[in-house]
Amino acid sequence: MPIAERGYIHWDGELLERRRPWLPITRQGIRLAFKRKYFKFSFFVSLVPAFGFLVGIYAAEKIQDFKLKIEGVSTILQVNPGFFRAYFAGDFLLFMMLMLMVLSGAGLIADELRHNALQLYFARPLTKKDYFMGKAAILVFFLSLVTVVPGLVFIICKLIFSGSFRFLADYPWIGLSVIGFSALVTAFFSFYTLMISSVSKNRRYTAILLFTIYIFSDVLFGIFYASFRNPYFALLSIKANLQQVGAAFFNVKAPYAVSWIYSLAVLLTLCAVSAFILHKRVKGVEVIK
Amino acid sequence: MKTIREIFAFFAFYGRKTRRTQAFFLISLFPVAIAAVFRFHQAMGGDGSFDGMYLFTNVIMTFFLQFLILVLTLFFGTSVTSEEVEGRTLTYLVTRPVPKSSILLGKYAAYTLIVTVLVWIGLVACFLILNFERLGESQTWLVLLRYLGVLTLGILAYGGFFTFLGTFLKKSIMVGLLFSFGWENVIQYFPGSTQRFAIVHYLKSLLPRVMTSRGRFSFLTFRLEPTSGPVSILTLILITAGFLALAALLFHHKEYIYED
Amino acid sequence: MSAVIATSKLSKWYGNVLGLSDVTISIEPGITGLLGPNGAGKSTFFNLLTGQLKPSIGSLTIFGEPVRNNSRAFRRIGLCPEQDAFYEELSGWEFLTNLLRLQGYGPSEVAAKAEKALGIVELLADKGRVVRSYSHGMRQRLKFAQAIAHDPQVVILDEPLNGLDPLGKRKLIRLIKDFGREGRTVLVSSHVLPEIEALTADIVLLHHGKILAVGGIQNIRDLIDTHPHIIAVRSSAPRALAAHFVGEEYVLNVHFENSRDSVLFETTNRDRFFERLTRYAAEPAAAVEEVTSPDDNLQAVFDYLVGT
Repeated sequence: MPIAERGYIHWDGELLERRRPWLPITRQGIRLAFKRKYFKFSFFVSLVPAFGFLVGIYAAEKIQDFKLKIEGVSTILQVNPGFFRAYFAGDFLLFMMLMLMVLSGAGLIADELRHNALQLYFARPLTKKDYFMGKAAILVFFLSLVTVVPGLVFIICKLIFSGSFRFLADYPWIGLSVIGFSALVTAFFSFYTLMISSVSKNRRYTAILLFTIYIFSDVLFGIFYASFRNPYFALLSIKANLQQVGAAFFNVKAPYAVSWIYSLAVLLTLCAVSAFILHKRVKGVEVIK
Repeated sequence: MKTIREIFAFFAFYGRKTRRTQAFFLISLFPVAIAAVFRFHQAMGGDGSFDGMYLFTNVIMTFFLQFLILVLTLFFGTSVTSEEVEGRTLTYLVTRPVPKSSILLGKYAAYTLIVTVLVWIGLVACFLILNFERLGESQTWLVLLRYLGVLTLGILAYGGFFTFLGTFLKKSIMVGLLFSFGWENVIQYFPGSTQRFAIVHYLKSLLPRVMTSRGRFSFLTFRLEPTSGPVSILTLILITAGFLALAALLFHHKEYIYED
Repeated sequence: MSAVIATSKLSKWYGNVLGLSDVTISIEPGITGLLGPNGAGKSTFFNLLTGQLKPSIGSLTIFGEPVRNNSRAFRRIGLCPEQDAFYEELSGWEFLTNLLRLQGYGPSEVAAKAEKALGIVELLADKGRVVRSYSHGMRQRLKFAQAIAHDPQVVILDEPLNGLDPLGKRKLIRLIKDFGREGRTVLVSSHVLPEIEALTADIVLLHHGKILAVGGIQNIRDLIDTHPHIIAVRSSAPRALAAHFVGEEYVLNVHFENSRDSVLFETTNRDRFFERLTRYAAEPAAAVEEVTSPDDNLQAVFDYLVGT
């Protein structure tokens, strides 16, 4: 056959679409995170509150046993939606989640920008969405281990320790709240972390930015709230917004007298802005003028 | 000295050009926005008891002292050696006829100058916004000079410490964050001599007592058991010199192997 | 000629990993090629030479002086590192002039030297662009420029031809050769044999951190006594030619090539083979047209020595 007639060859085979092309990215990311020196330590420290609360659930049941003997003590430790809110929206857990993000997330995209590795991804049958999913799933994995997993374990342990389903009968929605709030916190931190990680090639810089913006937003709120006593300044703080929404999810009184809907809107807006920045920053080929 | 000057000139120039410095400049202007909000609120007749000096000393200075200079010196201090190793550019510096100590000290000086300029611009702008009515009083300017001096000492000391940390550790940011927002904060609440193990103790000892008042902003302050002014200054200088000497010694002897 | 670079029992370990082992070598002015596969220890050797690493055992001197922490020594040394690293936000001009300032030159000298070096590597037209916008070839040339800008007497080039296109390679090879001809000591590393072959005949073969051989290509070949050499002879009567040699004890193998007019001889004694071939070629029926030695290039030498 003359060469001129062999312009291209039709391939008659069927291209099987991989259902989870992002999975190798996630697997590798999780493996690498655990190789980091301080990560393992921070990860286990972030599980400390979960163990503490688990002990609390056990202790609460024990107190129930003795409540006839020790009057009034039963009010000290009660496993109710407030207990869950205290865990999920507690300062320490949110701070540890931030530290986990600093350690495992700051370099997720920054390192690849630095090594010009994005082309390696996009030279494969991988879309931007797959790439983001792969990266986000790393963060979702770690965040889930300190949010939804302990939350569900709390519920199961409560049922086992109490020996009845009364807790579920009293709060049938608690499981959904745990899953819903965990999903929100996880989604927010994933967007936030990936966005910051994409703004620079320098991991130290992105780590500091991740930390600084989170803390700064809270300091700003602290200053204005202390000065003007206006609860709407809570909307400036990432932490306060998470706590406001957390209170709504667990049906307890919000820490600040401002509707949780606003806080949710702030968080969702931040997610949307993050998604936009991510979309702009992550390109297969960088053109420098 | 000449080699320190050359390195200083190089990195003062390079530091100015990087986008990171420009981003940190914007961050350092946030307090100016805070000051402007207070002033605007007052102008709108929102608060009759507005005291610019009080806000400056209790809010703005605390923000600079316990947040901004920590973040800036953490980044620029650890950058002195870490950015060379991470960027694999150290080779260009250590294969020049420049002693290693000069590289470290020259770069530290350049980055300290950049941080100082960023901080001074923000602080002076806040001061002018909040104390506009008192600018005719010489006492007001003395207060400003005192605060600028304290922050500069803070930048020198923290910068020295973080330069050492960046030289000593491969991954210095995590330890730096824990030091800045863990150790430096927590240790202040311990009574007696314990708080003297924090750099911020000596900085606060140099500030007027109003910093520790139990006012609306007590959430930002703590119970200070101050060290005398001269001892504080001397300690801060010793901390700076000590950590820089350690960092220079370490940098002289350490082998830096680039990661793949 | 006296040695410019001298090492004695130079060894380097990274923990339990051997980087370089027992390297004793003297390098004189001219171009010397350091050859070895990836991970052979070339960069470790260069890092030791430029004082970036300290030897675990042994010593090294350049112009009789130790290098590590001896800042004066770097007035006479220029290094082009392997890594593609720059102060990315500087322009090519700023990068070069700032580094030249560190050599101790005044402003006018800095400008003149930077201009000259950028001219040599043909980057003058792009000197104002930020380095991060440079192509790979331009970055390689800029690295080379900073290594030679201060007129060093010793130039150490770690894989300088890496990733360059053929034209870029040819240009840089010409520049390196010019430098060698000026009487400087140029040490070039590569894992690509034809590159070194194009630059110099003086090579140091490095493998697994050890020196396998030092010297000219021919000298190195002579070291390989036990390995047979392959010689190709083209003749219009190849079978007669083969019959003439097949009885000799130093001929191990005779192979007819597909072209049918060429015979490959594998011999353990090149000298005796050529002596007999010359006599045979003089005979009228021999019809010898061409004699080549396909393994007389570095690849073959290298393969013999590393046992591949």
